[in-house]
Amino acid sequence: MAIDMLDVARAATAMARRAGAQDAAAVSGRTRGVSVEWRDGKVEKVSEATTRGLSLELYVDGRYAVVSTSDLRAEALERFVGDAVALTRKLAPDPFRALPERALYEGQARVDLQLEDPALAAVTATRRRQAAQAAEEAARAVKGAGAIVSVSTGTGDTLSESWRVHTNGFEGTRRATDFWISAQVSVKDADGRRPEEWDAATGRHLAMNPQPEEVGWRAATRALSRLGARKGASAAMTLVVDARVAGRLFGRLLDPLSGAALQQKRSCLEGKAGLALGSPLLDVADDPLVPRGLGSRLFDGEGLAARRFPVLEKGVLRNYYVDTYYGRKLKAAPTTRGPSNLAWGPGAKGQDQLVREAGEGLLVTGFLGGNSNGTTGDFSLGLQGFRIHGGERAEPVAEMNLSGNHLEFWKRLVAVGDDPYPYSSMRTPTLVFEGAQVAGT
Amino acid sequence: MAQSDGIGRRRFMEMSGATIIAAGAADLMGCATAPARPTAPTEGIGYFSRFGVTERMIADAIAAAMSRGADHADVFFQHEVSTTLALQDGAVNRAAAGAVLGVGVRAVKGEQQGYGFTEDLTAEALRECAWTAAAIADGTPRAGPGAFHVPGRLPQRYPMKIRWDDVRPEQRLPLLTGLNERALAADPRIRKVNVALADSVGVILVADARGRIVEDLQPMTRLFLSCVAEQDGRREEAGYNVAGRAGFEFYDAARLDRVVRRAVERTVNLFEAVPAPAGEMPVVLAAGSSGILLHEAIGHGMEADFNRKGTSIYADKIGKPIARPFVSIVDDATLEGARGAINVDDEGNDAGRTVLVEKGVLATYMHDAISARHYGVRPTGNGRRESYRHAPLPRMRATYMLPGPHKVEEIVASVKKGIWCDYFTNGQVQIGAGDFTFYVKSGRMIEDGKLGRPVKDINIIGNGPKVLELVDMVADDLVIDEGGWTCGKDGQMVPVSQGIPTVRVGSITVGGQRKG
Repeated sequence: MAIDMLDVARAATAMARRAGAQDAAAVSGRTRGVSVEWRDGKVEKVSEATTRGLSLELYVDGRYAVVSTSDLRAEALERFVGDAVALTRKLAPDPFRALPERALYEGQARVDLQLEDPALAAVTATRRRQAAQAAEEAARAVKGAGAIVSVSTGTGDTLSESWRVHTNGFEGTRRATDFWISAQVSVKDADGRRPEEWDAATGRHLAMNPQPEEVGWRAATRALSRLGARKGASAAMTLVVDARVAGRLFGRLLDPLSGAALQQKRSCLEGKAGLALGSPLLDVADDPLVPRGLGSRLFDGEGLAARRFPVLEKGVLRNYYVDTYYGRKLKAAPTTRGPSNLAWGPGAKGQDQLVREAGEGLLVTGFLGGNSNGTTGDFSLGLQGFRIHGGERAEPVAEMNLSGNHLEFWKRLVAVGDDPYPYSSMRTPTLVFEGAQVAGT
Repeated sequence: MAQSDGIGRRRFMEMSGATIIAAGAADLMGCATAPARPTAPTEGIGYFSRFGVTERMIADAIAAAMSRGADHADVFFQHEVSTTLALQDGAVNRAAAGAVLGVGVRAVKGEQQGYGFTEDLTAEALRECAWTAAAIADGTPRAGPGAFHVPGRLPQRYPMKIRWDDVRPEQRLPLLTGLNERALAADPRIRKVNVALADSVGVILVADARGRIVEDLQPMTRLFLSCVAEQDGRREEAGYNVAGRAGFEFYDAARLDRVVRRAVERTVNLFEAVPAPAGEMPVVLAAGSSGILLHEAIGHGMEADFNRKGTSIYADKIGKPIARPFVSIVDDATLEGARGAINVDDEGNDAGRTVLVEKGVLATYMHDAISARHYGVRPTGNGRRESYRHAPLPRMRATYMLPGPHKVEEIVASVKKGIWCDYFTNGQVQIGAGDFTFYVKSGRMIEDGKLGRPVKDINIIGNGPKVLELVDMVADDLVIDEGGWTCGKDGQMVPVSQGIPTVRVGSITVGGQRKG
């Protein structure tokens, strides 16, 4: 029983108005997702479903609330919206709340972002199963596979559709496909530890992902390379951070870059616009218009027309992530609420060369836990990886920790790779830092 | 496992391949007026009959799920209504309300599962999900249940004195504005205050191929207060939060006092902090939220799914000594009103107290139905799920260490140079390698047996079995933390509790910023 989800979004804004809201913004969504998990020679789990929901922002007599529901039965929705409007009336007024300026909806890029892959229709249950199986078989074919305890692989795809309707004239639709494949391999170490490693890929188009055999091979090779990992000594040293995990480090800056953090006085980046935050190699733009990009969009989460802007230019902080509400509070023009795709300034060297040039230090291939204090910039993160010795990747290390302060740490960035990680919208390249404080024994 | 791009998800949810735990109101979503009053049912389908759900529909769905030879099948209905009120810049100027309604159908064949779910609670939609799930098996049909029965009365572990749907916004608002005023008045350095009050009332129904049918009404509330303080141009932010399965009565005067006092103290104390040392040293963990040590160092590794797959570092250690004889650790569903309490698990199994470590010896894994069948043991009531969109997994409930023989004073006095920790935000573990971390938002130096200056923002990293061996003192002051902990595993978030007496870890790596 297919429901017209654009009608649901339109109907919700109409219900909100009938219940007394002056303005409303509704987003309805429907996602069809199928996944296959495979483990040690057979299917572990198959999941398949179409799911849907609605969220609604309400502007009532100068007051604001946001509500969401998966119960879309007409009478239930009418009652839900009515109750939500009544609740909103009880709140304190907030003069900064309003729908975005209509002018900001204008000027959407006239490009085809190619977010939907027609190949989805041809993906069958058998094909998914074969891909998951092939990834496992490739993992078990690597040299040294006798140490493997277990291999879990998986693959899946989704089609997500959403419809956005604002009472001040915005309507937008988005359809996107995702295809993912992953493999995780556990191996048994001589001391009883069972280190695990993984490889995974996500793409808007199926053809963007590597072959299943490649994913399985990489996961197994990585897991076997963890055998015999030891803790190293505490020291200040050069770190080469693998592109795949560098997003864990840069991602910590996103909170202090937000308008909410600035306005709430919990951003270490307040007042830093126009100043150097990092070395000139720290060069990052927000680019929502990358064809097939995981973070690509023609309009953002408030309906604002999406456009590219610099975040950090040659180390200098240029823009924050500011939405309509906090923009009004800060008396600043909104950019966008949160990141789309990140585009990094060009690096000329591959990771092997960066390791060679580092000479001595650590190649970081994983972070474990940790956190960052966005108010002061202090951070502390668990890490694992490999010793770099004589310009070569040497023995594996684990159970170590990196600490620093963002306001100082990014000035230590001395090289970036030519290898932006394609399976995340952060698209981080390999990053090299000098004199980083690492704790171990 | 990195199935989709991590940006835009919850602050603490960006990791892959490992489990995580986080406290605090990273995002409070959901929450206000109940569209219909949830009332505790007595037998059969009580609550869900209002959505047109009948025993016939359920029996048909289970029969469809068993139609290709599954060993077992179940359905999981969920309805939850929730409200959050939030204060920022001095006014309660935002609310969030949510309603969740849906059903998941599962077919199980050995250790293999098929799963489908829908928001559409009609016979046709349910049957379609069931057929999807059934495809996991490929054999001759097995019979579904002929009739349903309610298996005995459930315990009542979350009595609500003042039900959330009886609490008007006019009663909730003063709680938030009052906390704001008190926090600002408590110290002139406080510049910004955020308060959020969330409540939800959820009802679940589990019915299975053996004809069992169970409904449970599960309330939850959480209050979060955070402060930003300024001194000599420096700023610090900290907070305190409390959570439980309770009604509005949860917020008595003593609890509200504690929320304000702790949040303000935690914030302004950070101005005194000195850089933390880096390297291996003794660490004393204060009673209460330090239970995060147990959650990461041993809890996840004792979830039976990792063990039946052979991927946990504890996979071959049952019956073996792993800690000093005064170390006993349990996972307990029975703590009245605790965030991690449940009357029944999400597979309809009884939920009690599971002993993980008894006097230093590894005793029992935490099971869901699949792992219990694999090991030939009774389920332990640890089969939990985030929502109807997910199949259940073995998960923790309230995990804590029992009191030991030492005194807090002697533990602190025994440390020549180390740190004492009492404020944590999050942690993570690698199940197989056993390496785990937890993040210390603040603590204090210990020098010559005395607590010294505060230290802050330190990650601590260790290896589970090694660290448990190094737990060499346990005090008699067990505290179950009242904070709102949420545990993430395989992309599913569930509420948990944790607790611990004051303990000493003889040596562990402290991730500070200065060479220790």
